[in-house]
Amino acid sequence: MSLDKVIACLKGIGLKPNVDDFQNRLVIQKAIYLLKLKGIDPGFAYNLYVRGPYSPDLTKEVYGHKSTVEKLETSSRLDNSESKKVEEFKDIFSELKPSILEVAATYSYFAFEQKQDPITALQNVKRMKTFYSEAQIAVGVSKAKEFLFRPSEKQLADMKEEARAWQDASLKSMRANSHEKKRGLDM
Amino acid sequence: MNSDFLSLIKESEALNSDVFSLIRLLLLSSIASVGADGVTYRELKAALRVSDGALFTNLKSLEKTGYVISEEITLEGKKLQSYKITQEGLIAWERIRNWLKKFVECGGKNNESG
Repeated sequence: MSLDKVIACLKGIGLKPNVDDFQNRLVIQKAIYLLKLKGIDPGFAYNLYVRGPYSPDLTKEVYGHKSTVEKLETSSRLDNSESKKVEEFKDIFSELKPSILEVAATYSYFAFEQKQDPITALQNVKRMKTFYSEAQIAVGVSKAKEFLFRPSEKQLADMKEEARAWQDASLKSMRANSHEKKRGLDM
Repeated sequence: MNSDFLSLIKESEALNSDVFSLIRLLLLSSIASVGADGVTYRELKAALRVSDGALFTNLKSLEKTGYVISEEITLEGKKLQSYKITQEGLIAWERIRNWLKKFVECGGKNNESG
């Protein structure tokens, strides 16, 4: 387990942690989990608890090295690929809103770790997070997908096919419009 | 009678029987699982699917035994009630957990022999 790597990630996402603050601790837990699923793994095991995916060992380490965490002292450096992932995280979860991170992490646990289909994963999130609005759940799920969704070959082909159908339709409509305009000018 | 069973009964005398209701066991286990971080009332209510009445009463009872403490926290501007396990609660939970493990194992052995 590497707290050094965790601190490097927190530095990367621009969090100034206050370990005594409940909200900050929640952000640390969820951000590190989402980055773990993205491939940056400091080695803390996560399991599903009452709060969603959670690592008791990470909490212990964060509390045990409070001052180091708060001063963001680390000897660990993120490599290029890790830095890109952290930047992507920063772009998508820019505000570091606990509710959105909580929904995103819980959805990701069901959809990407447990490999549940998207509908079942969403149902499970709604079941566990009844206190969040539909809008908060929708935003969290959409951000989780944006951050972690890797389409399969078939999904890519389907997406291309779908995009082509839309493109064709829009081209047809553009052509029809310009034809109409031309006819209008001719008249 | 199995001697394991007899020792289990003996050990059970050291357990706090006030905790032996499904909801209190679930609460103690859930609150212990997040350690020093604590867990909010709304998270417990949603995850355990219990009514406000049952949740409130049982949390109060665990607070009274000294196993759980509550504090007010702020999350995204909202004031929420959060619950943490105490050292005493953690010891009690460990004791109960170990006893339950032995109890289940003992039941399994009896079934196999029967």
